[in-house]
Amino acid sequence: MVNPVLFIVVPLGLAFAIPLLKYISKKIIRFVPALAFLFNLVFALRLIPVVMDHPVHVHIGGFIPPMGINLVAGPVGMLFVVLIALVGFLVSVYAFHPVKEKYEDRYHILYMLQLTGATGVVLTGDIFNLFVFFEILCLASYSLVAYLGNRAGIESAVKYLIQGSLGSGLILIGIGLLYGQFGTLNMADIAGRIHSVQPVSVYVPLVLFITGFGVEAALFPLNAWLPDAHSSAPTTISAVLSGIAIEVGLYAVLRVVFTLFGISNMMGFFLVLGVLTLLIGELCAFSQDNIKRMLAFSSIGQIGLLVFAFSLASTQGITGGFFQLASHTLGKALLFLAAGYMITRTGSMEIASFKGMGKTMPFTSLAFTIGAFSMVGLPPFMGFPGKFMILKAALHDGQMLTLILLGFILIATVIEGAYFFRVVQVLYFAGDDLPDRERAPAAFSRLVPIFLFTGLIIVLGIYPSLITDLLDASALELLDRPGFIKSIIP
Amino acid sequence: MKLEILLAVFFGGSLLTYLLGKISKRARDILAVLVLLFATAGITSLYGKSSTATLYTGFLDFPMVLSIHPFAWIFALTIAVVGLCAVIFSWLYIRKKGRTDFFYFMMLLVIFSMIGIVLSGDFLSFYIFWEMMSWSTFLLISYNRGKAIAAGMKYIVMSVAGSLAMLVGMISLYTQTGTLVFEGISGSLNSASSGYLQFILILFFVAFGIKNAIWPLHVWLPPAHSEAPSPFSAVLSGVLIKIGTFGFILLIYGIIQVQVFVNLGHALFNVRNLLLLLGAVTILIPTFIALFQDDAKRLLAWSTVAQAGYIILGIAYGTSESLSGGTLHFFNHALFKSLLFMVVGAVEFRTNGVRDLNSLGGLIKKMPVTFVAGLIGVCGLIGVPLTNGFVSKWLIYHTLIVNHSPFLAFVALLGTWGTILYSYKLIHHIFLGQLPRKYEKLQAAPVSMKVPMIFLSLTVFVFGVLPGLPLHVINLSELGFGMEPLAINMWGVVTGSGSIQMLNIATALILGGIVLWLFFRMGPKNTRADQMDNYAAGAPVPADRYQYSVKFYDPLTRMIAPYLKDIADNFYSALARGIRNAGNGIRRIYTGDVGNYALYIILFLAILIFIQLYWKVW
Repeated sequence: MVNPVLFIVVPLGLAFAIPLLKYISKKIIRFVPALAFLFNLVFALRLIPVVMDHPVHVHIGGFIPPMGINLVAGPVGMLFVVLIALVGFLVSVYAFHPVKEKYEDRYHILYMLQLTGATGVVLTGDIFNLFVFFEILCLASYSLVAYLGNRAGIESAVKYLIQGSLGSGLILIGIGLLYGQFGTLNMADIAGRIHSVQPVSVYVPLVLFITGFGVEAALFPLNAWLPDAHSSAPTTISAVLSGIAIEVGLYAVLRVVFTLFGISNMMGFFLVLGVLTLLIGELCAFSQDNIKRMLAFSSIGQIGLLVFAFSLASTQGITGGFFQLASHTLGKALLFLAAGYMITRTGSMEIASFKGMGKTMPFTSLAFTIGAFSMVGLPPFMGFPGKFMILKAALHDGQMLTLILLGFILIATVIEGAYFFRVVQVLYFAGDDLPDRERAPAAFSRLVPIFLFTGLIIVLGIYPSLITDLLDASALELLDRPGFIKSIIP
Repeated sequence: MKLEILLAVFFGGSLLTYLLGKISKRARDILAVLVLLFATAGITSLYGKSSTATLYTGFLDFPMVLSIHPFAWIFALTIAVVGLCAVIFSWLYIRKKGRTDFFYFMMLLVIFSMIGIVLSGDFLSFYIFWEMMSWSTFLLISYNRGKAIAAGMKYIVMSVAGSLAMLVGMISLYTQTGTLVFEGISGSLNSASSGYLQFILILFFVAFGIKNAIWPLHVWLPPAHSEAPSPFSAVLSGVLIKIGTFGFILLIYGIIQVQVFVNLGHALFNVRNLLLLLGAVTILIPTFIALFQDDAKRLLAWSTVAQAGYIILGIAYGTSESLSGGTLHFFNHALFKSLLFMVVGAVEFRTNGVRDLNSLGGLIKKMPVTFVAGLIGVCGLIGVPLTNGFVSKWLIYHTLIVNHSPFLAFVALLGTWGTILYSYKLIHHIFLGQLPRKYEKLQAAPVSMKVPMIFLSLTVFVFGVLPGLPLHVINLSELGFGMEPLAINMWGVVTGSGSIQMLNIATALILGGIVLWLFFRMGPKNTRADQMDNYAAGAPVPADRYQYSVKFYDPLTRMIAPYLKDIADNFYSALARGIRNAGNGIRRIYTGDVGNYALYIILFLAILIFIQLYWKVW
């Protein structure tokens, strides 16, 4: 068994080793992130059977909670750690072929910091520690969005920075308010005592958290930074932002709502907010001509669907939500990588410029198609079980509000189908009079991650039971609040 | 033959076909045919069997069940045979175009997904195969590029909408009954309220109605059928849309019992009456729209919509005779409509893609076999005695008349009248009349196209004379649904209130034919006169000028065209435009000004606090 703290320490240490390794060889630093996340992936997978049995707690410095900082590697945390490590590893393989020659070392440092921050957020059991890791994630993201150094990148990074800092400020105020009332920063400790004070005085920190984390989680209307940032970031970073960063933001919201505050009577609001986010995301994506913007808006839509699923607050709903989350992480990472690879060929982000890609880049086009089909929820790809489980949970819930919202979700799915199928048509069928372009030589390091993501999407689409045990346990962890508190503070 | 093995061979074979195509085109063509031959043989060997097998339980612990019963058998066999003919037909048809491996792969995938659908024993496998069929169909429809792209888009968007409705319906059934297996559901639906059953029926009707192209859900069909590659049009029209029919029968007769279905709802809003009405509208409007088409494939596509209406009438009527009629008409339509699409495809192939009826003509001299095939197909479509369409239409008319539904019977007859008109237009414009000079060097259809056409023509004829063969299987499936089967023999139906015996009809017709032949034989011998062999005042008109196929049925068109606007299509187009505009409007939220964005964040916070202060939700 590996100590979960290593999932944070190893990438962090290796990140800061990069400036030194640079002096040994310029090439070697490319492989450092892959190494770190491969380590995380392998050991996280090995840790999963253990945490399924009982969550692993690490007391940093030996202080017993509620003192000190503690790490909680429960099913939810490990699910996220595995996803982060998986995407982190595959995306760093994609970056073997550098995005930009200049400042390559900084790119790798920031990339590792970003994902270390994400790992820290999902593992920590301390609210202030969570904030710190969250800031690491966000700061790394701001700078990486601007990494290409072009006008669009810098502009959107600054916008992202402004909105993100506003959100972080709100979170910090919330933490301050909580600390003032409870005198502790341990989440389990606060959660155990949350009902001992006036509801109004915890309501303010609650909404501050929801708003603050909601910015990163891309809830409507806090998500205005997302389309710009996702579309102007380098391909690899778009994949990570869409596949990991917003999900981690969502994780923070879930943790706050389900564990820290344990509220149940705001779920109606979240259901509506989720569907609103979904509809607006899909409608905006529908009228995009820029592929990366389209994918970014589609991420907003997907987050809305996830919020809806989690807000059902039932085992089925949360399990379905986690499955859809995993499916979105893999699918969107794949779509951004495939689209980005095609963009490097065409030099344009316009969807129309992808004409005839099915011939010149058959493999990447196929991968994109499978990713798109999975997003829409067509079997036998991974999106289908996710959508199936969410619909099942919603119908099981059976309340009038849920059923009405379900109708809107279906409409949004049809819209989603329309814009994804349009791209697929452009890839394969558009343009009658194309010059017979040669099949370009493929960069191996770019095809491998695309291939692996595609494979995972198909395997998990055909055999979803592979991960449902972990997801069930995760749902239980979120719903069983007293059990969670008790496991940390006996 | 085990069902699992059968399915494994199907999908393995499809993939192998694709991969083999990278090595050798010829081997690929042969393998595709072999796989389908195997499928046909395998399914044939399952005749009369009833068995179920659990295929897989890895999908969220839902068992995926395969089952074979006579009702599934007749659909599966039809699909396999039509698929086989279409693939043989594609050999030369597709060779001129690019991306042939992809075409074969998708074609096999569509065919086998359809067989998977009819062999499914539970809704999950049904849905998975259904969706695989949908997306592979989408890719095939778009295959021809150009206009086909819009057609494919229309198809997939409607299809996704339909399958989502089905998904909701099936999961709702699951929450109600705790299982997705058909038998389990039908067992525990007895106690369901009639309101719930209507809700389920509506959801599934949207799904199946879109596939089956019932008015007003038909709009995807005409462009899709006309723009798809012709061999695939044959599959699309012949069997694919009938998967919707299959779903209807399964739902009404297999899951909700037919007695329950017939009495569902109040007098005026009776579900059955509603469906019958939609069936009638589906016959009436598309038949006359077909009349005005100048594109051969579009004409056939509209005809398919109209014929689907007959099938719906048969199914929704809910007696064993009507069900026999509906199912038999499905079977017959699969044969003659795929035959007709092949005929048009052969002409399209030889004329390099001409489908415009007004610019063809006189091809009977150049493509005689194709002409005979077309004639037989058209006869089947109209329901001329001795072709298969006669029997199934007879059964449907008979039900409607005997059970006192004069209005529906009138619509059905009116539809047939329209069918005669457009069928004649099709045959006349392509094969009769003047041969345009540019087609004087036209070759006959190649053998690989003739073989499936001749085969299908023969089946149209054989099942017209021996309707007892398919009716026997249909009877078995009606027994499976717990219904009183029809009294039949090899030559037709022996019901109390009227019987149809093709033996008598055939004998009468053949004798009559012999008499006529003898009569003409006794007269003076014909002499063959050249077309120019007439008096033209020394100024003969060039043969080309004798083209009189433009503006066919013009007076009729002028009379009824104003009433035949495709309201449904306009509605959907408006809807699509509306959504696009809404999208463009909503995009304005993201103004690009970071000040606004910061404002949104603060406003969101303010609203949350306001909600609490005002309503005290927490």
